[in-house]
Amino acid sequence: MRNIFIVAKNTFKLELRDKILYGIIVFALLYIFFELFLADLVLKELPMVKSFGLTGIYFFNAIIALFLGTTSFFKDVDRKVVYFILSKPVSRAQFLLGKFVGLCAVLLLTTAILGVAYLGLIAYNHGGFDALGLLAIVMQYLEMALFIAFALFVSTFSSSLLSIVYTSAVFFLGHIVSSLVADAQVIGITGIQYRFVQVFYYIFPNLEKFDVRALAIHNVAVPLTSFAFALTYAVVYVAFLLAASVWIFTKKEI
Amino acid sequence: MVEFSHLTKTYKKRNVVDDFSLAVDVPIFGFLGQNGAGKTTVMKMIVGLLQPTAGAIMLDGKASCDVASKRRMGYMPETPYFYERMTGLAFMRFCDELVGARGGNRTAHYEALLKRTGIYEARNAEVRTYSKGMRQRLGFAQALVGDPEYLFLDEPLDGLDPLGRREMKEVMLTLKKEGRKIFLNTHILYDVEEVCDEMGVIHEGRLLYAGSVKKFCAGKPLEEQFVATVIAQGKT
Repeated sequence: MRNIFIVAKNTFKLELRDKILYGIIVFALLYIFFELFLADLVLKELPMVKSFGLTGIYFFNAIIALFLGTTSFFKDVDRKVVYFILSKPVSRAQFLLGKFVGLCAVLLLTTAILGVAYLGLIAYNHGGFDALGLLAIVMQYLEMALFIAFALFVSTFSSSLLSIVYTSAVFFLGHIVSSLVADAQVIGITGIQYRFVQVFYYIFPNLEKFDVRALAIHNVAVPLTSFAFALTYAVVYVAFLLAASVWIFTKKEI
Repeated sequence: MVEFSHLTKTYKKRNVVDDFSLAVDVPIFGFLGQNGAGKTTVMKMIVGLLQPTAGAIMLDGKASCDVASKRRMGYMPETPYFYERMTGLAFMRFCDELVGARGGNRTAHYEALLKRTGIYEARNAEVRTYSKGMRQRLGFAQALVGDPEYLFLDEPLDGLDPLGRREMKEVMLTLKKEGRKIFLNTHILYDVEEVCDEMGVIHEGRLLYAGSVKKFCAGKPLEEQFVATVIAQGKT
């Protein structure tokens, strides 16, 4: 546990020195503050302001998660910095889990920065404290943690560039898998083809489970069961991905 | 004592280390071989970066890749790579935390190591500003974190200027006096003659010789004997 914390702390510190990360955060903040003008444009119509704000946080966090997940671990292995780390009394599992925790901590910080900017903006526009917006941000964070775990998993067996391609593809697929089964039923696909769609549905992460932005924007309460299910789903899926990543990384020749 | 028993590493049906057996129990052991002979592969297997295809490596009776064994060893890889935006001091602190050494003034400990390897003045500069020689020195310094009993150094003198080489060799001899054991990978014959108590010659993954340097030379220059041994192996 101690080694995981040390690797996580180091990852957190190193990633925060990355100028690319700062660039993304600055762009995200500019986008959120741009809403001040947008709010005037839409006559301070809160749902519009909320929609732009939450989507912006989601979009920029997805970029940050993709950037962190596909580069950080891969760079350490590819540039052979792991030689120093793994020759010390540190297991590969500890190193990989430490990277995951460190990257999630960076993402937590960026989410907090953007979240505070968003909540401040909503309060400024007389929307009060947007508790549902906060819940939507928390659920977006869970999705991004899963996204990082997937990127790490892919990084254990492919290059950084391919990781970006695979992870982006899964991000896209993760948002359409739930409608795939429904569409297959509507179209009337049966037999082996339907089984294939089902396999697809169960293998890829269902990222729609984390999307409560529409409810938050229109002030519709999010059922506690939805949140509990999303949390459990994220924990189980992340645990599975990390276990698979550790298994692959342990066997990898470095 | 470091013991290798029937160590084999295979890549794509080719044995890069082939049934390698050896017991090393001298203060400084020089492991000599041409580029690609299998020296680095052996060292990576010692520290657990690679898994042997067959055979075992024991450090005083325990598997060398065990956590308990790793606490007793320091490793310097060939051409060390670092986190470029970290300072030398921060990197040492990170390594110290990973080793899990406790007690005493830790900062003073790794500052002393930086002084010992001649990189102390640059301790607060980011590694990306370091020259190759400075990186070698930092790589050497981090291997000493936690006062390991065994040191596995892979080409530690590469990239150093003549004065730097002299300094590092003196550090190795001082470490020997302190009772540490050094396993030195090199292809520079002069270094072996100068600092090693015993040597091993590896060629195409096979151990051709292990024993004293003097006995290997048999009154001839080391280079001449080394070339003759490798050529003779090539003819068989």
